Amino acid sequence: MIYKVSYVVKGGEYPGSIKNEYEEPKVGSRVKVGPIECEILEIQQIMPPRGDFLFLHATVVPVENNKSEEK
Amino acid sequence: MEDLLQILRRVELFRDLTEEQLEQIGKISKREIYHKGETICKQGEPGDKMYVVSLGQVEVMVRDSKGNSYSALYLGVGQLVGEMALIDEGTRSASVIGVDDETVVYGIPNDRFTALCVSDPEIGYIMMRNIAQDLSFKLRHRDFDPSDT
Repeated sequence: MIYKVSYVVKGGEYPGSIKNEYEEPKVGSRVKVGPIECEILEIQQIMPPRGDFLFLHATVVPVENNKSEEK
Repeated sequence: MEDLLQILRRVELFRDLTEEQLEQIGKISKREIYHKGETICKQGEPGDKMYVVSLGQVEVMVRDSKGNSYSALYLGVGQLVGEMALIDEGTRSASVIGVDDETVVYGIPNDRFTALCVSDPEIGYIMMRNIAQDLSFKLRHRDFDPSDT
């Protein structure tokens, strides 16, 4: 299965990203959106699968922001 | 050629093409390597080809009417960029820049792609449908509001 993922950065401060992943993205895992390392907060399927492709939205937050919110 | 076919098989743009049809796409695709910060195509210039990202990420930069540039989107492996100029025959709507030190894309010239679609209408139908679905996905991405979830 190939996961076509739309990464949207919470807060709108950074642009998002679209890319194929070959392992299922999971909440809590980290991903690079452009040069920024982010953590996945939420994942949802946005349209039915087609062939080998699954279509997902992932809401992410920059790791640095998430650390400061945890403090 | 087999390496290229392996890459093309994992790109949604080419979903549902047969191996023979993929080979025809492979014959008109050319590998291009860019480094971090290098321009792949420039906003306002004629668009003579579309690109499939094979390695690394590219940054889509838009310059507004006041001359300010902003980063609109990053596109990673398997994504299509530069297809709007193929569809509407207009100039580039954005600049595209390599993000990683080794950013690899496959360029598909518009004229050769169009000729292939005309000579094999099944390729033309499948590819145009897949391009439309990719544009739809990009619109959903742009319109997504995390606060709605």
